[in-house]
Amino acid sequence: MKNKECIAMILAGGQGSRLGALTKYIAKPAVPFGGKYRIIDFPLSNCVHSNLDTVGVLTQYQPLELNTYIGNGNPWDLNRNDGGVYVLPPYQSAKAGEWYKGTANAIYQNLSFIEKFSPSNVLILSGDHIYKMHYGKMLEAHQASGAAITIAVMPVPWEEASRFGIMNVDENGNIVEFEEKPANPKSNLASMGIYIFDYEIMRKYLIEDENDPESSNDFGKNIIPKMLANHEKMCAWKFEGYWKDVGTVQSLWEANMDLLGETPLFHIEDPLWKIYSRTSALAPHYLGANATVTNSTVTEGCNIYGSVNHSIISSGVDIGEGSIVSDCVIMPGVKIGKNVVLKNAVVGDDVQIGDGAKIGVTESNDNPHASPMCTHGLVLIESGAVIGENETVLKGSMIEC
Amino acid sequence: MIMKDTMGIILTGTEKIPPITDHRSVAALPFAGRYRIIDFVLSNMASAGITNIGVATKNTYSSLMDHIKSGKPWDLDRKYQGLSVLPPNLWENSHRSLRGNIDILAGIRGFLKKSHQTYVILSLDTHIYNLDFKALVKAHIANQADITVVYHNMKGAPESELSRFNLLDIDDQNQVIDIESHPYYPKTTNAAMDIYVMEKALLESIIDECLARGDHDFVTDALSKKLSGMRIFGHEYTGYTDRIDSLKSYYINNMAFLQDEVRKEMLNNSRRPIYTKNKDLPPARYGDSAVVENSLISDGCIIEGTVQNCILSRGVKIAKGAVVKNSIIMQDSVIDSDVSLDYVVFDKEVHITKGRCLLGQDSYPLAIAKHTVI
Repeated sequence: MKNKECIAMILAGGQGSRLGALTKYIAKPAVPFGGKYRIIDFPLSNCVHSNLDTVGVLTQYQPLELNTYIGNGNPWDLNRNDGGVYVLPPYQSAKAGEWYKGTANAIYQNLSFIEKFSPSNVLILSGDHIYKMHYGKMLEAHQASGAAITIAVMPVPWEEASRFGIMNVDENGNIVEFEEKPANPKSNLASMGIYIFDYEIMRKYLIEDENDPESSNDFGKNIIPKMLANHEKMCAWKFEGYWKDVGTVQSLWEANMDLLGETPLFHIEDPLWKIYSRTSALAPHYLGANATVTNSTVTEGCNIYGSVNHSIISSGVDIGEGSIVSDCVIMPGVKIGKNVVLKNAVVGDDVQIGDGAKIGVTESNDNPHASPMCTHGLVLIESGAVIGENETVLKGSMIEC
Repeated sequence: MIMKDTMGIILTGTEKIPPITDHRSVAALPFAGRYRIIDFVLSNMASAGITNIGVATKNTYSSLMDHIKSGKPWDLDRKYQGLSVLPPNLWENSHRSLRGNIDILAGIRGFLKKSHQTYVILSLDTHIYNLDFKALVKAHIANQADITVVYHNMKGAPESELSRFNLLDIDDQNQVIDIESHPYYPKTTNAAMDIYVMEKALLESIIDECLARGDHDFVTDALSKKLSGMRIFGHEYTGYTDRIDSLKSYYINNMAFLQDEVRKEMLNNSRRPIYTKNKDLPPARYGDSAVVENSLISDGCIIEGTVQNCILSRGVKIAKGAVVKNSIIMQDSVIDSDVSLDYVVFDKEVHITKGRCLLGQDSYPLAIAKHTVI
């Protein structure tokens, strides 16, 4: 294979345990988002628009759905003759065979894959963020500075800075200090978990790290602090724009809602930066004579006879007459009966809700389905669950199959 | 297995429907929001397991080529055969004047010859339907027919409607005993859907014979003259269908897709889904002031105004205060604020500026050409 300037490796093995029932059978990057996408569509589409044609996707937790979704990469134009998308699960070799122990170990175990493309640089991405980024511009900055590693950072509100890994940067953009969740942050530039490494240097550090039995084999905890300690040239690349970690039910709901409004916080309608996804051919959606839909997005394959406000309705959803859906994220294939009231909920794919059900409307201190995952009164319903006729689901419930 | 031994030939329509066919054939017309008319026949052929399909185009074929590309949406991007678009400049007999469908078929004689299949399904005109082609070929073989013609019984339809079709007289054995092409006074109500099954060798000999005699039309010159010497059978189709041959039929048939039953039968048929090109647009977005009733809306639309009884293709924008009723709006058209539209058919990328008012009539929708700015 020819020498690639840069290849991308997407870390997509995480369980996403704070998403509760949503990630029981699928990995976080495979979670549906925004009506017709999955979370992994964002880094994959960004790669394509950034002219990165070789992408490795490292899977581990519940990989079946993600593997079949990515397939040959055709929806993202990543079925290429020289490069393309590769799904990389952990494997057994003659000497050893083990799960990915940490983010750095996952890349370490795939060094022979990377070697095949003899890249000058390697872009490390995580498969659980919602954003649009031109990695090509970051690569240009990385090459211009001659850094060993360039880390994408973004300004976060000062009061939230102590929740992030904070980069302290000098006037030339060189990283001088890295603090994980500092109590008294000196800067508000948070690491986005997006790194471009000089490949040879990354390789050296990964091998060293692997031989260190004390290490937890993590980029943020081990590799980056060690590079800092060794005074490697490390640069920050400032990203300005929408970026959201959708690690919790609440943040997933919020990121979906950011697609709504007259000028949505997150703009996915740019014809020159389309977000690609694997979709099946569905009819345009139909709105019945008594339907009302306001401040919402609706996807192909839906049939809506009830009313919808401030919600994301994914492909193939049916909403019956007299039903009222508000402040909800409804994932693909959900069937909602007649006269249902559904408020403030994240509803997993193919859930069926019987006529007259009341969901997320009433509150009670004695809720057997209450879950710490469901903050702010959000209701979460697991994929494939069935809610019976006239059933009531209290605020803050997590309903499993 | 029999479908591996059957190929498909699709002609892209002869009628002119100005202004919406100025730059495209009828087969390439946008339909029911996200589809093109050719999607129905292509998807049905693909669902039946046909893997060698030739689309013979006339001069305005760039729209069709852009839609079909490699044939991927129909799973017809194959190493061997698959979907072939046959533009007119590759015709063997390009010096011949193109007076009828025989002239077009003569042009793809080479494509027919190199195809190994025994049977051919020929679609000569642009009808919409959702048809089981496998059952059709099976019936053709079971009847030991020379040619099988698909028809639809239009019992009760007015004579003027029947005249739009080739009408078949069929005996109680299902054998075709007479064919009349667009008769003024129809004798029967069996409207041919311009789909024919026969052995490929027979089609080739019909083309040769017609060329030798200077004939131009498959139905009037070949089929109706061969009735006595051949076993020509009818195969009835009982689902939703019509021929797209005028602005009126284009409008009425689009609007029919607002009915739940029609969509269910035609588009949400799990055995025969209708495939089309994917444009990777985001879901449609509705604003706070959107009022939408009884309408079919495609991805990528942004709606802030009022839409009633409409079909919107992908990427249409309707601003606040605009009222659009009983209309078909094709891809990427922009309707500014306080515009009022009733009974219009807009081609792609039409832009209506603030406050304008355009009214067509129920019986005569107002059609506006591509890229028009008003």
